Amino acid sequence: MLVISDLSARVAGKEILSGVNLQVNAGEVHAIMGPNGSGKSTLAQVLAGREDYEVTKGSVSFEGRDLLAMRAEERARAGLFLGFQYPVEIPGVNNVYLLKAALNAKRKAAGEPEVDAYEFLALIRQKMKAMQMSEAFLTRGVNEGFSGGEKKRNEVLQMLVLEPKLAILDETDSGLDIDALKVVSAGVNSLRDPKRAVVLVTHYQRLLDYVIPDQVHVLSGGRIVKSGDKSLAQELERRGYDWVMGAQVA
Amino acid sequence: MSAALRSFEAQWRARTADALQPIREQAMQRFLKLGLPTSRDETWRYTDLRSLAAQSFEPAPCEPRGNIDPAASLSLVDADQHAATLRLINGCLPPSADKQAINGIEISSIKALSQSDPKSLARFFPTGSDADQRRWVLLNTALFIDGLYLKITRRVTEPLVILHVSTGERAHEAAHPRIIIDAAPGSSATIIEHHVSHGDIAPLNNSNTHISLGMDAQLEHYRVYATGAGASHLDSLDIHQAHGSHCRQFTIVLGGGLVRSSLEAHLNQPGASLDSHSLLVGHEDRHVDCVNIVTHAAPNTRSRQTARAIAGDVSRVVFNSKVIVNAGAVGSDSQQSCRGLLLSPGAEIDTRPQLEIHADEVKCAHGATTGRLDPDMLFYLLSRGLDRETAQSLLVFAFLADTLTGMSVSSARAAIENALISQLPDSQLLRKFR
Repeated sequence: MLVISDLSARVAGKEILSGVNLQVNAGEVHAIMGPNGSGKSTLAQVLAGREDYEVTKGSVSFEGRDLLAMRAEERARAGLFLGFQYPVEIPGVNNVYLLKAALNAKRKAAGEPEVDAYEFLALIRQKMKAMQMSEAFLTRGVNEGFSGGEKKRNEVLQMLVLEPKLAILDETDSGLDIDALKVVSAGVNSLRDPKRAVVLVTHYQRLLDYVIPDQVHVLSGGRIVKSGDKSLAQELERRGYDWVMGAQVA
Repeated sequence: MSAALRSFEAQWRARTADALQPIREQAMQRFLKLGLPTSRDETWRYTDLRSLAAQSFEPAPCEPRGNIDPAASLSLVDADQHAATLRLINGCLPPSADKQAINGIEISSIKALSQSDPKSLARFFPTGSDADQRRWVLLNTALFIDGLYLKITRRVTEPLVILHVSTGERAHEAAHPRIIIDAAPGSSATIIEHHVSHGDIAPLNNSNTHISLGMDAQLEHYRVYATGAGASHLDSLDIHQAHGSHCRQFTIVLGGGLVRSSLEAHLNQPGASLDSHSLLVGHEDRHVDCVNIVTHAAPNTRSRQTARAIAGDVSRVVFNSKVIVNAGAVGSDSQQSCRGLLLSPGAEIDTRPQLEIHADEVKCAHGATTGRLDPDMLFYLLSRGLDRETAQSLLVFAFLADTLTGMSVSSARAAIENALISQLPDSQLLRKFR
């Protein structure tokens, strides 16, 4: 589904990614872990199409298409979703209307008709219930006045409504208490299916107790320095990142 | 002496004296002495009047050419939900408009009232101020032909609309519409002044509105400019507030080639409170210059000024606001907030919040920011699959929309939102976001 080859990228003139290689197949959940500043968020943003992040080398293919040649909105409509680490507040733009516009943009690209207003509201209510979000959400601006946890739930809600083929969740677990973590994890697990894939970017192993990854990668210094199965996450939790980085030097 | 000044003097000499002659005389002499403002004058530094000063003006006609098309204006109020629409052509009102009384508002022609009771009008023509920004008001006082005097006597719920129609027969005409709103103690009303233009030629529109709020009176006042690119407005609004009165004011500039709007509020007695909202939209090569001066002249007075300015193409939008706290006006509470949004590299926004405080123990805050669309917000919307144009328009609309939320006339809000949206790309889709 996603093949990243030798990807390098710069942010504000500084090289953050230096030759990332990664393959994610349909049906898989991958976790990308690593210390602060290792380039995890940059990778997520580059994949989603952030324009001020400059790709200097390498290629990315998404379902056989050249992802880097697509604009951010095209990537979204093709089924790529980024759950933001810091979801932005947009006062004046209603949450529900954004969701509806996003869903319709995707349907239009797929040659489907616009969603019926009544059906849409029923769908939203059902997904909100799954995410344990209050009705007040319906009338508010995008992320406006939301707590950190509410913002993260909102990201997962959007994901559930849009049903992406590939979801990249950038530290969706950070700032969540244990109950919220369970709700968010259940949301992510409900999307698991042989035709979809999920990439979890996370600092901690905690999330991976609830969303069991098929593969775990460690990103350090802008490269993937180690990959393994879920036991790698447990080992990292026990021994810290220095252990991997030490191994890299050795 | 400039050509414009000479022509105004000629008009002054040509007119016949009326009951307001002493007031007019004083105003005209002062105007001639001060001359037209130039960019050297503090509050006029951003608006160049040189080309205007080089023109010779004639009085604009009181009779419209052809039929006035009501569809040319925004439908700010629903037909069955407002008290009345009073239509002024270049500041003149039809004879039938005099001496009506609608739902607690007495409506008179200023001309008629100046003949029957000139003394009662005198207090609405304050003289003696020689501030730069008042020169056009002086000219209005000297040359206005007619106008509306509205006496609000009790609580009125339905909004009253004043439709200012600018229409010219030939180039270089000037009109001086005058409105007086006199709210009795304890009364309340909503008054919407809607400026539109009719036909291809619009005269220079030098309008003035004087608002006087008695004790505990409440007024929601709108002035909405939706005229064509050829229209020029030099509009001034004076607000005088007594004990416990509250004024909610909306200045909405959606059209006009040159719009210069000023607001001077005087919070004269304790408990007086003002909320001023300005929404200034510049596009093409239009020029919008908004000046607010709020004077806290008594203790425990309160003012809030919120402005949203947006400039596209090669337009220029200026918002200057000043709060003056007089000596002794302790407990004054004021806030000024202005945000500007630039939509193109050729556009310009100038904002300048100012404070002049002569009292201790006051609370005065101000802030101004101008920038482009937030790239983080834009990326967020794009990452959800929205079209770039839609996403941009949505953010522009969201930026402006919060100045409209305080409007109690929902039809006015909807009409203004619609007018805003139609100026943005993807207007059909945007309508769904409301």
